[in-house]
Amino acid sequence: MKRVIRFRLNERLYEEEIGSEQPALDWIRKTAGLTGTKEGCREGDCGACLVLLGGRGMDGRPEWKAVTSCTLGMGELDGRHLVTIEGLASGGLTPVMEAMLDEGASQCGFCSPGFIIALTGFLVSGQAIDPVSAMASVEGNLCRCTGYGSIRRAASILARDFADLPAGLERRLPELARRHVLPAALAQLMLEPPEPAGSQGAAFAAIHPEDPSLVDLGGGTDWYVRNPDPDPDLAPRFSDQAPGARSIRAGGSAERPVLELGSAVTVDDFFASPLVRNLAPGIERFAADMASPPIRARATLAGNIVNASPIADLTSMLLALGARLVLEGGPDGERLLELSDFFLGYKKTDIRDGERVRGILIPASPLRFNFEKAAKRARLDIATVNTAMAVTLAPDGGIASVRASAGGVAPVPLRMVALENAMVGKQPSAALAREAGKLAYDCGSPIGDVRGSAGYRRRLMERLTWAHFIRLWPELGLEKELLA
Amino acid sequence: MKRNPESVLNVLGKTQYLDDLPENAGMLHAAVVLSPSAHGRFSGLDTAAALAMDSSVRVVVAADIPGQNELGTAVFDEPLLAAGEWHYHGQVLALVLASSRSLARKAAARVAVQGAEQLPAVTDPREAAARGNIILSPRTQRSGDVDTAFLACDVVVSGRVESGGQEHVYLETQGAIAWPDDSGGVRLLSGTQSPSGVQKIVARVLGLPMNLVEVETRRLGGAFGGKEDQATGWAALAALGAVVSGRPVKINLNRRDDMVATGKRHPYSSDFRIGLKKDGTILAFEADFYQNSGAATDLSPAIIPRTLFHAAGAYHIPNVRVTGTMCRTNLIPFTAFRGFGGPQGFFVIESAIDAAARALGIEPADIQRRNLLSDGDEFHYGMVAEDPRAKETMERCLAKADWNKLRADIRDFNAAHAGLKRGAAATPVCFGISFTKIMMNQGGALVHIYNDGSVGVSTGAVEMGQGVGRKIALVVADALGIPDSKVKIETTRTVTVANTMPTAASTGTDINAMAAKIACDQLRARLDALAKDRPGLDFVQLVALAHEQRVDLSAHAFYATPGLHYDLATEKGKPFHYHVYGCAVVTATLDVLRGTYQFDDAFIVHDIAHSIDPVIDRGQVEGAFAQGLGWAALEELAFGADGRLLANTLSTYKLPDAHFMPRMDVEFLERPNPGTVANSKAVGEPPLMYGIAGYFAVLDALKAVHPDKPAFYDLPMTPEKALRFLSEEDSP
Ligand SMILES: Cc1cc2nc3c(=O)[nH]c(=O)nc-3n(C[C@H](O)[C@H](O)[C@H](O)COP(=O)(O)OP(=O)(O)OC[C@H]3O[C@@H](n4cnc5c(N)ncnc54)[C@H](O)[C@@H]3O)c2cc1C
Ligand code: FES
Ligand code: FES
Repeated sequence: MKRVIRFRLNERLYEEEIGSEQPALDWIRKTAGLTGTKEGCREGDCGACLVLLGGRGMDGRPEWKAVTSCTLGMGELDGRHLVTIEGLASGGLTPVMEAMLDEGASQCGFCSPGFIIALTGFLVSGQAIDPVSAMASVEGNLCRCTGYGSIRRAASILARDFADLPAGLERRLPELARRHVLPAALAQLMLEPPEPAGSQGAAFAAIHPEDPSLVDLGGGTDWYVRNPDPDPDLAPRFSDQAPGARSIRAGGSAERPVLELGSAVTVDDFFASPLVRNLAPGIERFAADMASPPIRARATLAGNIVNASPIADLTSMLLALGARLVLEGGPDGERLLELSDFFLGYKKTDIRDGERVRGILIPASPLRFNFEKAAKRARLDIATVNTAMAVTLAPDGGIASVRASAGGVAPVPLRMVALENAMVGKQPSAALAREAGKLAYDCGSPIGDVRGSAGYRRRLMERLTWAHFIRLWPELGLEKELLA
Repeated sequence: MKRNPESVLNVLGKTQYLDDLPENAGMLHAAVVLSPSAHGRFSGLDTAAALAMDSSVRVVVAADIPGQNELGTAVFDEPLLAAGEWHYHGQVLALVLASSRSLARKAAARVAVQGAEQLPAVTDPREAAARGNIILSPRTQRSGDVDTAFLACDVVVSGRVESGGQEHVYLETQGAIAWPDDSGGVRLLSGTQSPSGVQKIVARVLGLPMNLVEVETRRLGGAFGGKEDQATGWAALAALGAVVSGRPVKINLNRRDDMVATGKRHPYSSDFRIGLKKDGTILAFEADFYQNSGAATDLSPAIIPRTLFHAAGAYHIPNVRVTGTMCRTNLIPFTAFRGFGGPQGFFVIESAIDAAARALGIEPADIQRRNLLSDGDEFHYGMVAEDPRAKETMERCLAKADWNKLRADIRDFNAAHAGLKRGAAATPVCFGISFTKIMMNQGGALVHIYNDGSVGVSTGAVEMGQGVGRKIALVVADALGIPDSKVKIETTRTVTVANTMPTAASTGTDINAMAAKIACDQLRARLDALAKDRPGLDFVQLVALAHEQRVDLSAHAFYATPGLHYDLATEKGKPFHYHVYGCAVVTATLDVLRGTYQFDDAFIVHDIAHSIDPVIDRGQVEGAFAQGLGWAALEELAFGADGRLLANTLSTYKLPDAHFMPRMDVEFLERPNPGTVANSKAVGEPPLMYGIAGYFAVLDALKAVHPDKPAFYDLPMTPEKALRFLSEEDSP
């Protein structure tokens, strides 16, 4: 659906009627004619299409992330700023490009713009600069030619040369301009996200909830993979254009404190949140298990849930965290639903006509949390199975409460109720882990597919349940006993 | 540091790949209708719904082909468009043209198959062989007397080995653009490794002489063998569309169509028998390779001999008998992929050595080191090893990895850890260079010196990231005595250099840079003759003078690799110009609880001889190793029992990412290779085989958990197979 959108591409401001459903990749390549951004897969998996997306973060301040333009709807650009390889290259070679060149990190070159965007985004992002984080920033990029050795060397050079970058975008961007990582005029503009065409929230409110062409979208990282060539009639309504939707707040009552997550909270936002980290200490370790940095920058928790994939990672975590959903817009107004009751069958949910997820509530009492995911490739891969476990302990060290989830063993993400019942009130031990493992082995009715056989999935559920025990109670040293 | 000017364009985002070029007005976009199953018959196509979408939509079928509906080169068994019957899932049934790509794809999705009848599909190569579904005849190479030799062995071990296919995943998908030409022919831009090959087949399909078909190839976004023969069909479809519609036609596959409808590395199923003396000396080796060739011949007859040539790995085995059978199945026609049958051969001999080591109670490395090729050893195909570098590279590599200490450290680590086990393995490599088909070892070059002193070089070489253009530029600059900044490498075009061979078999530089050098030598001689009377002129002045004096400033030259011969009846001869050697040690850490593993280090010593450009060569070694490691321990080309490709997107087909790759420490063995351009050695394919060490490194770690469980040789290693081995209940 065409809509007036106001955004900046590199140094140029656009205010145009554009199909809001159109993938940004197509618009950049075909309409803007900037072909440095490549299509390698059109499903978020290769990073050839990376661009830098600027806008305002949760705190209202400018925020820059590398994202996949093949899963980015044009409508999302209202009030935002895109930087492509041409924007970076307008002043000639940058130090990122030079590092890649000197190490021979561009062979066929098809992946190179994507890697350069990712590494430049890394320097811009404000994270700590070290070789390991530099390489983590390209975990969403595939290269079939180099074997990554040269890319690793280039990343190390950058990490070394830019270790002293100042914190905070306001200081960092001018410094990057001074050192030719960014053209100076562009760096200046990158601190000033454009105003959207309508007032805040206007785009969101513009679509009538009963419009049959409406689709609610979060980051689009799931939807665009299923709709690579969306119908021009469709009218996406982007959750981050709903006022206040990108927020994580402490709420509830004194007896029942909860965390309230808005519908536009991204995976990045979730793992970065101090509230979430207090609730489940160490949970940020598991961020890297989900997708890749450019996907995590866009993917929302609500999208992960509504997508209703039996192997959705955040859903698995949220089940163990005891999340509930706030749904709005249905015939009965707002409803509150246990997350585990939301899934009705394979990719079938209890969402009703006109309804959308407005938020997610998580009980806010601290717990021990662990997440396990098995996949073919350690990074950027969909789970064969996943499982999360959250426990609270009684003063005597016994298990006071437990919630455990299982993904990939049934048409829907599961709570492992039998396993939970078997654990409550017991002292953790290898014997209990084995008993729990048996129940996990039998908790679902897995099928075999490209990601693994049914038997493998059962065995994994058993082993990953042992892994929960080993990691949740590191003080007990259960590993030796379980593997004996 | 010298920078490759093409790479400069890459990092600036300025390189124009096929889909980046501005589109002509009136250009039509093409999409394909693919067969829905592995084997079936159909009576026709219902195109009404597609045609109703837009007046620009047009559906082109087999009956529209003006010439021959045939893509095959070795054997005529591969129609461009299926007519009446399809033989694999993803075979092209029709071409759909429309005014935009999205419209073409949507229209293609609305074309329905009429009167479909499913036919039985065979996917297993052994089953195909048992039914007599084989391509041409099996080939056998032999040396010594295997049967007698086995009787003299202290231990004889036999086993079965599987290796899976591999998808190329060049980042730029396949494509072509065709323009109808007022000559009545077509001009094509094709993403191919073989412009002349495309020219020949397009001419055949259109019923035109070759001189009416002009093919140009610009830089490719990766190829790896996947665009050697497999690019031809897409170019032929674009050309057909252009002729039928009278408009320019562009085809650019989306990733899924590319994965489903293009050939990949051959899966193999093999049996081996190996016989040794107690001390680990290999006396006899026998193997039967069942190559899953897929539904059409494609390049299989060139690939199977390369498997046989490499069946004995980097070893001298006095008695060898190896047979390769091309089995016709209802899968995608498998094709060239870096290594070209070699890796499948290497994996079998390395598996046999692993099995033999267990039987003898020694380490595989002891057998490997004892049997490496020495000077003067005769390969089982009759060639004699000259200056073999197997021992040198392996010993240097083991030293680099501090092998004895590494083994001891691993033993200590494994004794101290229950949840993690480490493993290590070495794989020595010896890889023959030259196209296995002798006729293909030829190439031409056309060098122009423009009268301002700048130089343009055309050859048959296609640049796909391997740096062949850069290497040719350096060789030309050196031969003419000018800075390389004066040299431009032209796109590869059939009108500048004709009858070229595909850029493949690692020979791109060997053949094309040599041809260019010969042309430059001719030009240099002409200039030197002038310079004799006019000392002190620089190159530019000399060129101006030559022009003035009517001296030809262009030269064409031709190079055919000398000394190659092969007798198919005896399977003996000298099929290779030389061999490339090297060795890798790979270490891995296994998570015993979860069955997952990570690779820690790769130590590589590679026989580069003389490197024309060390940055490029290091990149070739690392990149090939990564593909080999992916093939050995990650990439699972999963087909369903019904012959449908299951891993048909990048979300289901996982290839190495940065995180997967170990630290790589690559060292070159530098000793000139006389008789080649700049005394260099080809580098594209040999390092791929180093990845096999990754399989055995994980296997080594698995054995640390269950020393008495029989090992399995079923590549790729996957976490699923590892966990099955680890959990006692169900073994692989
Ligand atoms: C390369 C890649 C890797 C991935 N890896 C992983 C992974 O490792 N683990 C994993 O779990 N997932 C993975 N995913 C899937 C996907 O990224 C996640 O499911 C993500 O959380 C989806 O969120 P989104 O905001 O992008 O959803 P969208 O694509 O925007 O939406 C998904 C669905 O939810 C609906 N929807 C979205 N928001 C709302 C709302 N507020 N109310 C009602 N309906 C709504 C949409 O209509 C759509 O049907 C991956 C995807 C890609 C492309
Ligand atoms: S094109 Fe591959 S991630 Fe977008
Ligand atoms: S350089 Fe070819 S894919 Fe990276």
